[in-house]
Amino acid sequence: MDKRTNEEWVADLRAGGDRQTGALEDLRAIILRGLPYAIAGRLDPNSPQSEALTEEVVQETLMRVLEYLDTFEGRSQFTTWAHKIAVRAALTELRRVRWREVPLPEMDVDDDMDASYREAPDEQASPEEQVAQAEMMKRVNRIIMEELTDKQRQALTAIMEGFPLEEAAGRLGTNRNALYKMLHDARLRLKKRLEKEGLTPQEVLSVFEQAGR
Amino acid sequence: MKIKQFIQRLFGSKQRKPSSGGTSANPSEKMQKMMAMLSATREEELTCDEVFALLDQFTELAAQGEDVAKLMPLVQHHLDMCDDCREEYKVLKSILYGAA
Ligand SMILES: [Zn+2]
Repeated sequence: MDKRTNEEWVADLRAGGDRQTGALEDLRAIILRGLPYAIAGRLDPNSPQSEALTEEVVQETLMRVLEYLDTFEGRSQFTTWAHKIAVRAALTELRRVRWREVPLPEMDVDDDMDASYREAPDEQASPEEQVAQAEMMKRVNRIIMEELTDKQRQALTAIMEGFPLEEAAGRLGTNRNALYKMLHDARLRLKKRLEKEGLTPQEVLSVFEQAGR
Repeated sequence: MKIKQFIQRLFGSKQRKPSSGGTSANPSEKMQKMMAMLSATREEELTCDEVFALLDQFTELAAQGEDVAKLMPLVQHHLDMCDDCREEYKVLKSILYGAA
């Protein structure tokens, strides 16, 4: 049933009536075969949540396929293109479920603000190395404070703590694409400032990598 | 602007973390992660939307065993930088392998 050519898929989905309904039913079955790969390892595949998510994602994918049909350029199999849309929809929802209870890291702190320096940056490092590491951290952080906006810092902190871009974007009132651009801009600024100060990322790293050898 | 607070948050070791997974809170590991990110940063990078537009083609080529890093280096670079897009790429690729 997925033996249609790309052109036949597009024509059938545009046709309306029984032809369109038949194509949508076939496409639905194809997407349903792909979704377990998105759910695997992220949600119990036999749970009611998984069933509900599958149904929701299939519906959303079919709507988007119809909505964006004109943008399909035939650079891949039509079914791969449809799977791509389904995977994005599924992972977006799975991330939302997985992270909704986790607060976006804030720049709040306890009173003992210098604690991070007294804790050994690397327990295997010598005292001299630990001092060098602490100094380098201060230097990098000063650069971060001077070069980045509050929002860029907040985004960077979230990403460093493993927040998905998509989730961090929602909390920061933006979208994933814009957040990637913002972080790219932040990375570029930091990299250029390091260069200006005569430092490469590798040199900064070497202060930390020497430790423990 | 509270510099010490930010340092504590970024490189300190007392962050709240999700119940499973998440990154290590070791400050020196975070520094390493950040420097690795900066090191890989390029002047021109594709955005998530631009990569999404090419992801079906890229994934099919990869599943066919093509050297996608050479054929579509900017997409490969974005996937190296972006956890979200890389995760979606891996799932899509597993679907294509499963369907083969
Ligand atoms: Zn991305």
